[in-house]
Order: sequence, then structure tokens, then C-alpha cells
Amino acid sequence: MLADLFTGSVLIGLLASGIRLATPYLYAAIGETFGQRSGVLNLGVDGIMLMGAFSAFYVVFKTGDLVGGVLLAMLVGLLMGLAMAFISVTLNAEQGISGIGVYLFGLGMSDLLFQKLINNVQTVSGFPVAPIPFLSDIPIVGQIFFTHNVLVYGAYLLVPIAWFVLNKTTLGLKIKAVGENPEAADTLGVSVAKIRYLTVTIGGLLSGVAGASLSIALLNVFQFNLTNGLGFIAIALVYFGGWRPTWVLMGSLIFSFVNALQIWVQVVGIPIPSDIAVMTPYILTIVVLVISAQRVRPPSALTKAYERLE
Amino acid sequence: MTEKQILPSGHPRIDSLEMRGIVKRFPGVLANDHVNFDVRAGEVHALLGENGAGKSTLMKQLYGLYHPDEGQIIFDGEPRVIHSPKDAIQLGIGMIHQHFMLVDSLTVAENVALGLPSTRGMMTDIDRVTKRICELAEVYGLDVEPDAYIWQLSVGQQQKVEIIKALYRGAALLILDEPTAVLTPQEVDDFFVTLTQMAKDGHALIFISHKLHEVMAFTHRVTVLRDGRNVGTVNTVDTNKTLLAEMMVGRPLNLNRPRKPVDFGHPRLIIENISAFSDRGVPALKNVSLQVYAGEVLGLAGVSGNGQPELAQVITGLRPSTSGKIMIDDEEITGSTPMQIINKGVAYIPEKRNVDGLIKEFSVSENLIMRDLDREFYSKNSFLHMEEIAKRSAELVQTFNVKTPSIDTPIKSLSGGNAQKVILAREISRKPRVLISAQPTRGVDIGATEYIHDRIIEQREEGTATLLISEDLDEIFALSDRIAVIFHGEIMGVVDRKDATLQSIGLMMAGEQPPETQKAE
Amino acid sequence: MKRFGKLVIFLVMVAMLSTACATATPAAPAESTGPFRVAVVTPSAINDLAFSQSMYDALAKIQGEMGKDKFEFVLSDGMFVVDDAAAAIRDYASQGYNLVIAHGSQYGAALQEIAPDFPNVSFAWGTAGDTFGIPNVFAYEAFSQEGGYVNGVLAAALNKSGTIGVVGPVEVGDAKLYVDGFVAGVKATNPDITVNVNYIGSFGDVALASEAAQTHIGAGADVMTGSAQMVVGAVGVAKEKGVLWFGTQADQTSLAPEIVVACQIYDWAVVVRDMISLVQSGTMGGKAYAVSLENEGLKMVYNAGFALPADVKALGDAAVKGIIDGTVTIGVGGK
Repeated sequence: MLADLFTGSVLIGLLASGIRLATPYLYAAIGETFGQRSGVLNLGVDGIMLMGAFSAFYVVFKTGDLVGGVLLAMLVGLLMGLAMAFISVTLNAEQGISGIGVYLFGLGMSDLLFQKLINNVQTVSGFPVAPIPFLSDIPIVGQIFFTHNVLVYGAYLLVPIAWFVLNKTTLGLKIKAVGENPEAADTLGVSVAKIRYLTVTIGGLLSGVAGASLSIALLNVFQFNLTNGLGFIAIALVYFGGWRPTWVLMGSLIFSFVNALQIWVQVVGIPIPSDIAVMTPYILTIVVLVISAQRVRPPSALTKAYERLE
Repeated sequence: MTEKQILPSGHPRIDSLEMRGIVKRFPGVLANDHVNFDVRAGEVHALLGENGAGKSTLMKQLYGLYHPDEGQIIFDGEPRVIHSPKDAIQLGIGMIHQHFMLVDSLTVAENVALGLPSTRGMMTDIDRVTKRICELAEVYGLDVEPDAYIWQLSVGQQQKVEIIKALYRGAALLILDEPTAVLTPQEVDDFFVTLTQMAKDGHALIFISHKLHEVMAFTHRVTVLRDGRNVGTVNTVDTNKTLLAEMMVGRPLNLNRPRKPVDFGHPRLIIENISAFSDRGVPALKNVSLQVYAGEVLGLAGVSGNGQPELAQVITGLRPSTSGKIMIDDEEITGSTPMQIINKGVAYIPEKRNVDGLIKEFSVSENLIMRDLDREFYSKNSFLHMEEIAKRSAELVQTFNVKTPSIDTPIKSLSGGNAQKVILAREISRKPRVLISAQPTRGVDIGATEYIHDRIIEQREEGTATLLISEDLDEIFALSDRIAVIFHGEIMGVVDRKDATLQSIGLMMAGEQPPETQKAE
Repeated sequence: MKRFGKLVIFLVMVAMLSTACATATPAAPAESTGPFRVAVVTPSAINDLAFSQSMYDALAKIQGEMGKDKFEFVLSDGMFVVDDAAAAIRDYASQGYNLVIAHGSQYGAALQEIAPDFPNVSFAWGTAGDTFGIPNVFAYEAFSQEGGYVNGVLAAALNKSGTIGVVGPVEVGDAKLYVDGFVAGVKATNPDITVNVNYIGSFGDVALASEAAQTHIGAGADVMTGSAQMVVGAVGVAKEKGVLWFGTQADQTSLAPEIVVACQIYDWAVVVRDMISLVQSGTMGGKAYAVSLENEGLKMVYNAGFALPADVKALGDAAVKGIIDGTVTIGVGGK
């Protein structure tokens, strides 16, 4: 039976599956990385994802316009990110609690809108698979990496962009400074509030896209609590990935691959209790990331509101 | 107007700056009351005063962090309004804060570049910044490594980064807020060489301090503030320490107090061959042996980072030792819990008072009773006796002269000196047999220092065995009966105060064995 | 910071309000001579096309039969956090509802604590076979292996590739009975077919269900089934890849009319009707029910839009008949 697991087609399927599964985690976790690097922990990611997922689904359900769906999800995510920024930066509220508030709002509001506007589980035609010309023709590699839909490619494109912004731009420098020592940034004329608004809003926008990637690209359905806590796992991936986009990518991939693997293990009938199989992605991801990223400490000002001392 | 002279950094210099009639009010406090102050190119001007005298408030107005309610700031004859730190930086003002404004996880170059426009638009231009840092470091004789991360640097090096940061932004006038409070004696010397050179080159330097010998040694003029008002401005050559201290405190001070000779009793605290690891897992203490007698102050001198905090933690039970034993009045306490050690009569004034000594968010009263919570008179069956606590706290606040609006004020609103008095009150009021006092006056103003020193002397006369751990040699010499020196976790020697000289102790602090070691009673 | 605590609490309340508004049909004030009042707490949404919807549909049906003046019901859905559900159950009980239904086996422990505090209220919980011996508790379960078996027979007859995929939630209770029954049905029809079963470890993880379906198709499945509300993810994949689908718990035809062949649906109305009459005659609980093909609490629904060959449908009908008259032994769950 073990041999069944390592046939070529299974391995290709497994890897392609892992690549696909990581998509929503990547959008949400990269977005959250920006916020956390600037010192804001947004626990509302899952709620924003749900609103993004519903908005995108609704547009596609009514009009079939996929791009419109993504744009609305972005807008809704952006607005919820702004709300989170307003509560945690302008009002200096406790970040953990305001994040949970945003989550509950998203959870409830997305369901309310779903009940009022659609009212039963429906499917839509989401983003079709768009093989990348030439690259997708490469044997094996093409099937694994270059035969997905646009939103999957977008998620992976985001990683180098995030890395570049954080490490090579003046904005990245400001973000990191604000997250580590907001007082120092302030004395150098960097507006702590402005930077945090920006990162939390970007985080919201990307969470919106994460939701859309579920509802109109990967699953093409919407139902109550569609994300099922995926946003919280994304936050955990940010922590375990040591707040670095490359490690967040690594964590998302490990988590997704092991998840894909445990499905295969069950499907080909290797006799492992399902309860144990479904735990492995969580355990392995934590173990791998804790071991490899143990020297990284969180941004010093994470979860701390900043007020100029008078 | 004539062309301005250019500084070695390539920026124009500020010939004169004047603050005239500055008034700054905070709710309930008049922080600056018509203060006049001026500084010229080429001078180091000390701004002297106790904590809370209004020095920082005055300087924060110059740096644009606060805005004066009345008064004018005049640059080279022209009145200017400074709205924000950005304005101040543009005018050529730099400020080195007491707590460094550096981001630990970024490199030196990144810290310098932070907030500045880049020549490459959105992308950083660290290469160019690095080159410029090297130029500045060369011209000003500041050796910094642009690629190093801040967390890798010593405090002294970090300060150099702060200076480079200001120079890079074109600072012609530098405000230095208690810059030596965190430096070791060697670093202080280094630092003053740099300052003196900068003044010679045409920079204007404002030196905020309450350390009189530094002010006397390195400044040209001194302005003294007290309770938000100017007491006066004098040329340094025309004054002396005693006069300055009187101006600061408003009453004559007794800096070199005579001490009653006390007959030492038996050895109260015995430390035998103690070894321990640091947080990073490297040996921090190597076979340390010391004895402190009843009625004695044993000073432990040493440069920061040579095992002093670890020793204090081992004695108080906060850090395990790997070998050796510790005895108090012939009872062994090695391996006891902190609570058991407290109950043996050990009092502890920790080095990091805001981290280990106090809970900043808690009130004065809560901090005062923390250690004795389980004692009968504070609580019974886990319930607090609120009235009793309030009464005791009020007494302690009065006895120990803690300046606080009320016993319910959170510690974080108190000045360093008053916060330290709260610890002192809590620890000494228990009539300890052994007092471990680590850096008791670091960051504390002169009035409070005098007070704390008096109390330590008083304990000595009561028969307490005191281990005074300090990096301030003035303090060691003023209080100790004997002086031990620690270097790389080893005791280099113990000498009698009357036989010790600054030079001999200094050599031991640098790791040289004295000719005859372990000169005990 | 304190001054903004209020704002945060306000936001949380808005959030909770929107959850609550979503489904709770407002209840009329309690009257002793008024209508029979039922409250239901469900773990997922009532429009999940699965477990929770099956109960909602039953209550709506009973309301249609008895009339709105005689029968009222309220529903709190999405109570996937058991503590929240327990609070809701207690609230409904204290508001004087005649019957409070805890529609989720995970609510059992909570109900065991709550029911004795309200001896004048009847409680029901499912799916479960046990009333804990508490006099005011009913229990109900479904012999879901029966429809599972029928679906299995049909699936085996339509299968060409030799492989069938099953996406399960968690390996317990109702879902396990259905899956085991399905496998038995397939094997009874054609023992050579490979049935790949996987449990994704969650009732709500739509994304993982979708990925599991992809995997089954990758492993060669041309017919699939699955249980619980997260299967909508799997149905979406089946639709996209043109793989046949068998449903359970509710009629899932609307999701993918092209590929849904048949569904086993639960009609809890049979059970609830009996509970109502018992409560009205003064019996507060103590009875354990099961819906089955025999008592028509379970029904097979065929997608009219799917061209099912007559001979295959005949196989299904025969299986139903055999289960009812006892000539077919499933070998699962005591049947």
C-alpha cells in the first residue's frame, strides 16, 4: 500500500494539491505579516476573510464577473482593515479584543448577508485553471506549479513582493522600526499611526482576497463559516514563520503538503487512524517551524498601542 | 547675512541659539516658568538640575516634541517656531535621548537611514548610507560598523550610533540627555573626548546631567534649573561642585559625610566558591568567595557585564548556582527559594528597578506591600486588609520621603529617585540582616542619591551586612568599608577602603591581579 | 484605554446581534394556552444542505401541517462552539419553550447538566441513542447506514473505473454509519470495486473537503459520496470534473444538477410529531427514536434531471424494499 503513495501521478497530484491548498493561507498570512511587523496583531483575519469570501461570491453569483468579485472582496477587506486600524491605532483599544470583535462581526455579518441575499448553498463557476503557456508544458513541474488558477499564482507572487517591500524599501524599514521601537521612529519623523494604518489596511485587503480565493477560485461555494478558522491558522503561521515572508511561505507549504499527504494516506488505505492523520499537519508544521525559527523573537512593540508620552 | 561656517560633517553650523522666557504648563504643573537659556557654537553647555526640575521639558520644546505656551526660540538671531522633530532636524538640531532611540533588530545603517528620503525613490539606498557613515565616523573619530545589528553593540557603541545618526541628519546643535547614565567609566572617558572634539569643531552641545564631576570636567558653562525656574548660568571655571549642588538642591548638601566607625561583628553573609551560568548559558561566575560582616558595607566594583547581576540573583535565590554554598549567620541558603531567603532576612534592591523591583502599573501602596503580602497584618485568609495597608503605606511614604501625589499613584508616574525610594522603603523597613544593593542610585538625582546613601549608612550602623554592587566608583568609595573587584566572573581582590586608590581599583577592574590578593580582616 | 472598552463591547454586540438575527425567527410571547413552542440549537447553518437543514425542513413542514397559530419554532444555528450552544439551550429552557432540541451529538454533556434544572421543559438531542435516563429528555438518531447502503448499491452499478471515493467528516456517529453502510452497499453489489474512504477531521472545513475530492478523483474515482455540511466543497469539485455524486442528510441536487444522482434525506418530522403528541399528553421524555426507511423518516430522493437507467433504479428500489422487509442485512450498526 505504501508503494501506492509513491507512484508518479500520486506525487504530482499531492504536490499540486499542496500548492493549491496553501493559497488562502498565503494571502492572509502575508497580509497579517505586514500588520504584525508594524506592531498590530489583527485577530480579525478570519472575519475579514469571510466577508471577502461572501462579497466575491455574491458578485460572481449575480453577474458572473470574477474580476469584479475580487475587487469587491478587496474593497470590503480594505474597509474592515481600516476599521481595525481605527479601533486599535486611533482609539488605542486592546488589540486582541478588537480583533475578536472584528472576527465576530465578519462571522455574523457574512452569514446575515448570505441568508438575506442568497439564502441557500449555491455553486458558481469560479476562476478557471489557467495553465501558463510554455511553463505548463514542462513535464511534471508544469503540472505541479503552472497549472492553477490566477489567484493561486497571485498568492505566490505576493511572497517575493512582500519580501522586497520589507527588506529593500524605505517603507519596509519604517514598518519594521514602528513595530520594534515606535518611539524611535517617532523621533525620526516617521508617523507611527500612518504606518500602522497602512499595514493593517493592506492586511485587511489581502484577507479579503484570501476569502475570495476560497469562494470563487478554489471551492466556488459559500456557506456559513466557510473559512472554518483558517484565518486563525494563518495568524499562527505568521508567528511560527518568525514574521518573515519566506518562512511564512515555508510554513504554509509544509502545512498544506502534509495535509494533502494525510488525505492521500487515507485514500490509498494505509491503516492510520483518521484522528491521528488529521493532526499531523498541525504537529509537523509547528515542530518544523519551531525548530528552524526558534531564534526569532516577535516585533518588540507587537500588540502595544503607541502614545507619545506627555 | 554672512555665509555660515561649515562643520566637518559638511553642514552649516549654528552660531547661537537662544530660548527666551519659555513657559510650559502641564495639567497641575508649571514645568517651565519663564526659563532663559542660550548656547553658542563651540561650547558644551551643561543643563543641570534634579529630576523634575524641567530640563527634559525644556529640551523637548527645542526638539519639537512639545510646544511652549509662552516664549521664543531664536536661531542665529531669527525667531523660529518648531512644530515637530522634523522641523528641529531641518534646523540642525539633534537629540540623543537617555533611552536610545534605536531599533534593535535593524543594522546601524538601517537605523541611520530610517525616515530619510532615499536617493533611489521607494527603494532603500543602504550602500550610499553606509559610505556616508564611514566618512562621518572617520572625520569624527567614531568607530562604528555600519552593517552590525544594534543588538550586537555595547551601550557605548550604541551611543556612537546615536551621534552618527544626528550628524548624518546635519545636526549642528546636539542635545544630550543624561548621556553618561548608562556608560561604564571607560566609555564615559571616550565619550567626553568625542564631545570635546565636536565642540572644538564648531558644534553647539547641550549636556543634560546631574553628575557634578562630569559637569565640572567637561563643560564650558552651566545653567541650573530648579522647580522649573532658572537658578542661574555660570562659567564652569568660576564655580565648584559644592556651589553647583547647592544651586541644584536649594540647600547646602553634605557630599562627604563622616561615618561613625562601627565594630564589625561576625561574618553574616558568606559566599563560598559560587559558580553560575548566565542567561545565555555561558559561565558568569567562577568560584566567587566573599564574606560580608555585620555592620559592614562591602563594595563590589566592576565594569558592567562581569557577573554582578548574576551574583545578586544567586544570593537572592533567583538564579541557581552550579557549585559552592551561601550562608547567612551560619545557616545555609544555597538552593532555597526566593521566599525562604527573604524570610531569612535578605533584602534586595535590584539593578533593573523597573523590571525586577517594581510593577510599574501598580500603585505605590501595592508595590510597598508586595513582598509582605502573606504577613498577618496585610492579609488574612488571602483577603487584604485594605485599611492596614493604607496606613502602613502612608507611614512608609512619609518616613522615606517619597514624593508622590498619593499612595494610589502608579509607580510609572514617579521619578526614578522616588521609585527607588519606594523599593528602599519596602526593603529596609523589614530591618534586614543582609542587604543586597545593586546600582542603588543609577539614574537617580543628587538629592535622592544623598538620601539613599544616608539610609545605607544608617543600616550599616544597625548591624546589617550590606553588599553594594555598583559601577559608580564615587559611590563605592563613599560608602564601602572594603572594596572587592569582579572581572569576568572572578573576584580579582578585596582591599580595605583606606588602602584603595582609584588607580588600583581601576587596574583590577581591567583584569589585573593586585600584588597581594584576598586581604581580609 | 478603558474609555474605548465600551466601543469594543458595542462592536462585539453588533457582531453577535447579526449572528442572532441571521436565523432566529422571533418568538411570540409565551402563553400557557398558546401554540406549541419549539426551540432548536444546531451546530451549522440551517441552509447547509445537510444535517442542520434536515431539522429545519422538518420543523417547517410541521408548522405547515399544524398552522402558525398552533406551532411556533425558533432556531439558533451556527453554534459550533459547544459553550455558546449550552448557553442558548439554557436560555430557551428558561423562556418556557415546550421542547428544546439540541441538534448535535456534541451537545450531549451540556444537556445532561441542563435538563434536570428544568423538569417542566422537554429536551431532545440527536443524533444519539441514549436519554441518560433523564425523564424529560428524548433522544433521536438516524439509521443512516440504510440510505448509505442504497446509495452504495446505485454507486456500484454506475461505477466504471473500479474506484469510488468517500469524503467523511469525523469518524464517529451518524457520518460513520452512513459511510460504513455505503461501503457495504458497494461491496454487496460488486466486491471488486475499491472504495477509498478518508475522514478530514472536521465538519466545517470546506477547503479540505474540496481537496479530498480532488485527491479521490486523482486516485481514479468516478463516483463519490460524502457526509456532513463541509461536503459542499467536494460537490463543487465533482461538478467541475464531471464525477457522479451521492448525497445524504438533505437533497443536494440544487448544488450540482448535472452530477447528483440520488440523496438519502432525513425527515425528522416523523420523530418530532410523536414527541409533540407525547409532551401534550404529559410525557416529558424518556423515549429514544430512530428514523429509518421503514418509518419513512429516511427517504431516497432521485434527481429527476439525471438520466438514471431503469435497471439501476430497480436495483435501488429492491435494496430499499429488502432493508424494510429484512431480507437485506447491512451488517452495520446492528442492522
